[in-house]
Amino acid sequence: MKKDIFDIMQAGAALTRRSILKGAAAGMALLVLGVEKAKAAAKWLSPRQVQKSAATTMDKDVKVVHSVCLSCNARCGVRAVVENGKLVKQSGNPYHPYNSRFQPIAYSTPVKETLALPSPVCGKSQGAPNNTYNPYRILKPLKRSGARGSGKFEPIEWEQLIKEIAQGGKHFAHLGEDRVIPGIKDMDSDALIDPGAPELGPVRNGFVFIGGRDQNARKEFSDRFVKEALGSVNRVGHTDICGIGFRMGTWAFTEKKEVEIKADPLSAEYILLFGANIYEALQHGINTYGAIVGNRSSREKVKFTIIDPRATNASGHAESWIPIKPCQDGAFAMGMIRWIVENDRHNKEFLTAPNPKVAAKRGHACYSNATHLVIVDDKHKNNRKFLRVSDLDPAAPADDGKAYVVLSKDGKALAFDKTEDAALAVETFVKDASGKEIKVKSSFSLMREGVMEHSVKAYAKLAGVEAAQIERVAREFTSHGTRAAVTQYHGAGNYLSGTYAAYAIAMLNAMIGNLDRKGGYMKSSGGAGAWNEGLYDLKNFAGKRKPQGVMMSREKSAYEKSTEFKKKGYPSKRPWFPFSKGGLCVETLSGIDQQYPYPCKILFTYFFNPVYSIPGGYRYKETLQSFEKVPLHVSIDIAINESNIFADYIVPDVTYPEGHYGFLTPHAPTLKFTGVRTPTIEPLTGRTADGRPFCEETFLIDLARAAGLPGFGENAIKGKNGKTSPLTSGEDFYLRGIANLASAVKAPQASAEEVAFVEKNYPVARFKGLLPADEWKQVCYVLARGGVFDKTYDDVFDGEKHKFGLKWVVLYNEELATTRNSITGEFFPGTLKYVAPMTPTGTDIEKADKEYPFTLISHKMNLHTQSRTVLHDWSLEVFPENFIVVNEKDAKKLGLDSGAKVRLVSRSNPKGVTGKLQVSELVRPGCLGVSFHYGHTQLGASRLPIIKAEEVFLGGRSVADKGGLIPNPRHGTGINPNDLSRLDESFANTPMIDPVGGIPDFSSTRVRIESA
Amino acid sequence: MNNRRLFMKNGLLAIVGIASLANGAKSEAAPKAQKWGMIIDLNRCTGCQACVIACKAQNKTAPDRFNTKVLSLEDGHYPESRIIFTPIQCNHCEDPRCVPACPLEATFKLPNGIVVTDWDKCESYGACVPACPYGARFLDERHGNKVDKCDFCLNRLEQGLLPACVESCEANARLFGDMDAPVGEFAEYLRRKELTVRKPELKIKTSVRYVRSRKGKKGGSL
Repeated sequence: MKKDIFDIMQAGAALTRRSILKGAAAGMALLVLGVEKAKAAAKWLSPRQVQKSAATTMDKDVKVVHSVCLSCNARCGVRAVVENGKLVKQSGNPYHPYNSRFQPIAYSTPVKETLALPSPVCGKSQGAPNNTYNPYRILKPLKRSGARGSGKFEPIEWEQLIKEIAQGGKHFAHLGEDRVIPGIKDMDSDALIDPGAPELGPVRNGFVFIGGRDQNARKEFSDRFVKEALGSVNRVGHTDICGIGFRMGTWAFTEKKEVEIKADPLSAEYILLFGANIYEALQHGINTYGAIVGNRSSREKVKFTIIDPRATNASGHAESWIPIKPCQDGAFAMGMIRWIVENDRHNKEFLTAPNPKVAAKRGHACYSNATHLVIVDDKHKNNRKFLRVSDLDPAAPADDGKAYVVLSKDGKALAFDKTEDAALAVETFVKDASGKEIKVKSSFSLMREGVMEHSVKAYAKLAGVEAAQIERVAREFTSHGTRAAVTQYHGAGNYLSGTYAAYAIAMLNAMIGNLDRKGGYMKSSGGAGAWNEGLYDLKNFAGKRKPQGVMMSREKSAYEKSTEFKKKGYPSKRPWFPFSKGGLCVETLSGIDQQYPYPCKILFTYFFNPVYSIPGGYRYKETLQSFEKVPLHVSIDIAINESNIFADYIVPDVTYPEGHYGFLTPHAPTLKFTGVRTPTIEPLTGRTADGRPFCEETFLIDLARAAGLPGFGENAIKGKNGKTSPLTSGEDFYLRGIANLASAVKAPQASAEEVAFVEKNYPVARFKGLLPADEWKQVCYVLARGGVFDKTYDDVFDGEKHKFGLKWVVLYNEELATTRNSITGEFFPGTLKYVAPMTPTGTDIEKADKEYPFTLISHKMNLHTQSRTVLHDWSLEVFPENFIVVNEKDAKKLGLDSGAKVRLVSRSNPKGVTGKLQVSELVRPGCLGVSFHYGHTQLGASRLPIIKAEEVFLGGRSVADKGGLIPNPRHGTGINPNDLSRLDESFANTPMIDPVGGIPDFSSTRVRIESA
Repeated sequence: MNNRRLFMKNGLLAIVGIASLANGAKSEAAPKAQKWGMIIDLNRCTGCQACVIACKAQNKTAPDRFNTKVLSLEDGHYPESRIIFTPIQCNHCEDPRCVPACPLEATFKLPNGIVVTDWDKCESYGACVPACPYGARFLDERHGNKVDKCDFCLNRLEQGLLPACVESCEANARLFGDMDAPVGEFAEYLRRKELTVRKPELKIKTSVRYVRSRKGKKGGSL
């Protein structure tokens, strides 16, 4: 908490005790200024009166709403101040741990006592009004009135929008397009896409819905339409470009339980950052993770090392920065592990615990499979799998038979759960019941074998660092007991072969046994309670479908089960990703482009700008342009961007302050809560005849009803009491979700005063009639506080042990080890191994693109999110453009100075992109650092021939004239690094991806600097 | 936990206090004016720019003009290089050079230490702008080139709220308080011997002080 304000208030209280008798007027003495000031103020005119300073929580006639931010996915709380219906200021929510360095005020604190409390939130969250009131927002449904990509659109009525998309037909005949557009009705069929390949599923799967910035609640709402009502498997997110690379390492390390684990920022003594830009990005956001680390480091409570090709903004406080070669984080981690094992600094007490009970006796909430034996025998039917009791004794009862086997210290093979101790390094033969010998190795030995393939020196060379640096960091990392940990993020694995880099980085934590421990490597403790079940069943409905078949992205499906494999074996036409975490929007789009494994009929994109946001996304312009590949494209969004300019229809959506509901659970590490997002202002978009706002929910509801899909409309929601309710507005769904949550956590009923607070301030209170009075009072308790934050940091621990932890991690992953690369047909390694960054067909881009001497790396900035913050005027005032950051030595060689205009060209973009150079010592030589967020051609950057533009855009005549939309040149400054990204020639020149996880590559593209 | 309770108790007091003020409570209830000051610890500043945006959002300064900014400085040579951030703004000098520069007495120092500009008197001469050794003043073209700069969010202070930049500083790099009656962390900081100011060579006494960066060789953009 803000210690300084306690102090001010304390001082104020002390003064009042001297100067006044009692009671209420005591507060006068706090921050309120003295008499002299009051007199002086009367005499002069403050510029703030003229400029009209934003209203505050203390002003009369303002509304104050606690909600959750969506300026990025960090999920911080917000407190909105609304004056005359307009969002005028956004700060943090003092109940929310993300706005208070993990230490918020007590959940039971009455709301009125909090309104004067300071509560910070980052700059992009405070910029929310810039986004909501941006003049380039669209208010009406748009239909294409020219060629795809021409930017010609015209506004249409809501009813026409719904009818045309539901029914299909020759909707663009007037443009000379004599083709029948498929409608949603056409997709509602159980006929197979290809009777010759039934595994692909029904024609329903031809409907593809890709979500960009989707979060809980709206995601489930979309799923209800796509998967459960229409029955398509293809509701795909964007985890891949969000950063699936480092997540794949965690996925392997935790046997597909978790995707994020991080160092506990509040109690760690040492944090090793790999590709984690903690002062500018990350989840949690900069006002949480970065702020905790920054504050604690100033008090010398924590130190940290940055491993990154770029000295991030945290470098000022870091113990040191190690400029690593891009794509080589794994080599650095492998070198560290080698040094740790060779110097006997690994935590044997942790690693030798063969099962959870023994680990618990030793004080650990987590154990590893380091001692479990793996069959390494080509001829054995279970080769590459764990040795199980049933392999030794086929007569063992089924349950016992599944047990893993370890080797006791005296060399006996025992069930892992029936021994107190086990040998760590094992390479031996065990005899099965028939007396046959099986060659086995322990997980630890297999991991160590992988690590020992290269020397520390060789790893250092690969990573472009000195061996001494690896040794020094390894020594530091192993010098804090379990109060040291890694935080890896986007940069640590967002490239070809990133799974193995990130797995090695995660493994560092197993070496010191810091898992599930205070100050160690921790996951989140999860949400406060369920929101989609309980009082109201928001998961099930009559006629709910279960989607069948293979996803367009081929995620979570094995190629070996396909008809294609049976016909022709390896290689598959494009990679399949059975082991991936999924959320592969890149491979979905490449699949659509290649009509593989089947053609797309209707594409919906939600809050998504793939052409801009995907490395090499420019390739998809031709995909989106093609009527054959995308017969119908509907975008749901707030503005016209680089991707939906190719759409046939654009459905106007609301921004989050107007109507994104959400149930936001914590990121790793540590905490347990559910933030609740509700609107802070009324929607600005147009409305239907019955008064519902144009937005995603209204669209999907009306579309489902028009197409005759189940799950929407009358009687769609079933209550616990057996009564049914209609689903005709977003609130029908979400408000009942809040009631479920409030009931699940047994929230108290709000006081009359707090009910009045919610009813006066919160737009959602208009719908209170949907709930019985007692439920509404519980809901008010939660709404007034912006969520459920009833557990403190301390509550999630039992001493040093995390109560909601990982429980186990693996040094060897059996499923990964038995999964094959669908291109080469080879098994993936099941444990650590240095895997050079290579395309699925084995191309090493560094070698292939030698004539391009620089590696292009990218990053996010503190006042931006991804593509959409170009709408944030204040962010652009602070950072009007971006730069190509080049190391001083490279600039000298090229004879170039800061400000020089240069052209970057890559093999895939020989035409290149022009930008401004910035010479710096904060980037590794041979690398060029370019931020995202700039280099837009849409979102207000270009003139567009929109018909009736003054009615379409929020800015009205300020952005519209007879020619259509008037651009703002500020929106088009700088360059977008994704416009240069390397494409993979072996796969139809689509964006490069890694074959294990489908990781899009952000770090391999090589470029040349040419004069502009 | 104690702090948390105290915080709440006083938070309540603050609200009641504001309510009474609105009801026209007697001015005798108020103590003498505070002497406001700010300390910025560069060892905490993450360069996040939240203060800059908070100030924009609160004070609606002219486009591309700022009451506060965050300077970034490359410190040291590769690979021992790092970036150090230094938030800057009006320093509310003890003896402000901008004050005598104005022939109209439109700019002056309040008893609470805050240097303000009276827009009734300001006639856009702009003489105060170059007089400020810190470049903290600027012309507001939207309002006839009258001069603007930071006023420690006087309007918020009057309401019992911290300045917007201080509220938004999650790492607590910006500490704010009464220099005459400092307590707690602000008092601890105020006692620190290493406190410095921007452009110390000018030997100007200011109400904004700094803790230099320990890790940066240059200590920051001071």
